[in-house]
Amino acid sequence: MNYQTKSAITSIKRFPFQALAAIFLLTVTFLVVTILSVVTYSSSKVIKYFETRPQVIAFLKDSATAETISALQHKLQNDARIKEVKYVSKEEALSIYKDATVDNPLLGELVNPSIFPASLEFSLSDLSRAQAVIEEVKTEAIVDSVGFTASLGGEKTLGDVVNRLRSITLYLKLGGGFFALLLVGTSFLVLVVTLGMRIASRRQEVEILNLIGAKKSFIKKPIVIESIIYVLIGVALGWLITLIVILYIAPSAINYFGEIPILPRDPLMFFSLFGIILLAEAVTGILLATLGSNLALSRAGRKK
Amino acid sequence: MIKFNKVTKTYGEVCALKDVSFEVKDGEFVFLMGPSGAGKTTILKLILKEIFSDTGEIHVGGVDVSKISEKDLPGFRQKVGCVFQDFKLLNERTAYENLEIALAILGIPEPKWKERIDKVLKMVGLQDRKNLFPSQLSGGEIQRASLARALVVNPDLILADEPTGNLDWEKAYEIMEVLEKINKEGKCVIVATHNKEIVGKMKKRVIKLTSGKIISALNKTPDSKS
Repeated sequence: MNYQTKSAITSIKRFPFQALAAIFLLTVTFLVVTILSVVTYSSSKVIKYFETRPQVIAFLKDSATAETISALQHKLQNDARIKEVKYVSKEEALSIYKDATVDNPLLGELVNPSIFPASLEFSLSDLSRAQAVIEEVKTEAIVDSVGFTASLGGEKTLGDVVNRLRSITLYLKLGGGFFALLLVGTSFLVLVVTLGMRIASRRQEVEILNLIGAKKSFIKKPIVIESIIYVLIGVALGWLITLIVILYIAPSAINYFGEIPILPRDPLMFFSLFGIILLAEAVTGILLATLGSNLALSRAGRKK
Repeated sequence: MIKFNKVTKTYGEVCALKDVSFEVKDGEFVFLMGPSGAGKTTILKLILKEIFSDTGEIHVGGVDVSKISEKDLPGFRQKVGCVFQDFKLLNERTAYENLEIALAILGIPEPKWKERIDKVLKMVGLQDRKNLFPSQLSGGEIQRASLARALVVNPDLILADEPTGNLDWEKAYEIMEVLEKINKEGKCVIVATHNKEIVGKMKKRVIKLTSGKIISALNKTPDSKS
C-alpha cells in the first residue's frame, strides 16, 4: 500500500465521525439512486410492454387465401410504422380461446375453429399513428374488421385509448428524465459539499504541504483516495439496502403487475441487473469523487 | 547562496522592507536580528517565495526566485529546510508522521525513513515524544519537532524563524548547537531572532534590521575578503 493510500486511511480512522457523516450522506444518496434506477428499469419495461404487445388485430375474411394473407403480411412488415406482425390461424385462435376458457371447458367444447376468423396481429412503433394505420388496414380487400386491444379500461373511442397510452408513456419518459437529472445534480452537490466539508478542515494542511515543497498531485492524491473510499462505501451500502428491500417486495410486486415484467424473473437476470447498477454507480461515484474533490480543493485554494 | 539586491516589500501602506541588499555565501551561518516588525520574517518568506517582492531581485542558489515557475516551486522548496515562526506542524499527525511526510514529499523510499527520522529525533531530543500529536507536545517540543522536520530532508539551506522563541536558555542553546553542527556539515543556516544572548554567545555573522532596513554588519561576513 503506498503512502498516500495509508495516509487517506489514517485520516479516516482519526476522524471517524466526520467520515461517518460523509458516508451516511453518500449512502442515502446512492440508496435513492439505486431505487430510482430500478424504478427507471421497471418503467421502461412497462413502456416496452405496452409498445410491443399486439395492439391491433386485423380480422381476415373467410375468403382470404394463403397468398393474399402472405401478401398483406409482407406489406405490413415493410411498413415502418408497424412492427412484430404475426399471423394467427383459425386453429390458433381456437387454441387461444380454449386457453382463455380453461376454467370452463364446456365453453371450449361448444365451438369449432370455423367460427373464429384468422387474423394478423401487430403492434405500432408509435401509438399516435394508430388511427391512420387502422383506417388504411380497414381498406384492404381481405380484411373484415380491425380491433384495437391496447385499452386500459374506461376509454370509449380509439382516440381516447391512444391519448391515454401516449400520456402514460410521456409522463414515464419525462418523469424518468427529470428524476435522473435531479439525481445526478443532487448527488454531485452532496458529494462536493461533503468533500468540501472534509477539505475545509484540512485547508491548513494543504497550505503547509505547499510550503514544504509538496507537489499538487501529492496533496491531492490522499484527498481524492479518501473521497473515493467514502463514495465506494456509500455506493455499496445504498445498493445493498435497496437489494434487500427489492428482494423482500419483489414477489408481491411481480404478482401485482402480473404479466408486465417489471423485474426480471430469472435470478441470473435479476442479479445481473443489480450487478450492472452497482458497476455503473461505482464508476459514476469514482468520477464524481475525483471531480468533486478537485472542485472542492480548488475552492479551498481560492479562499486562502 | 542568497543574494538580495535592493528588495522592497510593502503590505498595503506598511513598508516591511526597503531597498534591502545583502549576500549570504554557501555554508554561512547568519543571524537576522531585530525587533518585532523589523522585516526578519519577511526576508525568510521572500526566500521561500511564500510572498513576492515589490521591487528588487532575490537569488537563491544562483536562481532568480521571481522566475521560478509554479511547476518548479515545489522542487525549489524541497531544497530548503524551514522552521516556521508558527511551527506549521500538521496537527492531525504525530511528530514522527510529520517527519515521514517531509520524506515522502522528497520521494525517498520508505525503508530509509526510519533510520533518518530516528537520527534527527535523537539530535533534537524528541525520540521519546515521537508518537505524540502536536497538541500533546509542549511549546519547546513543538519547536524542536519543527526543526527536526526541516533537518530530516537534509537541505542545502536552513531557514529558522525564531527557533528559540519558546525555549529556556539551556534548550535554546541546545537548538543552536544542533544548527551549528548542521552548519559545520556545509549547510547554509539563516536564523531570524531577537534573542541577543544567543546571538552574542554564537559569535556568527549578524545582519541587524530595524523598520525594514539593514542597519549594521550588512554585506560582509567577518571573514569576507571583499
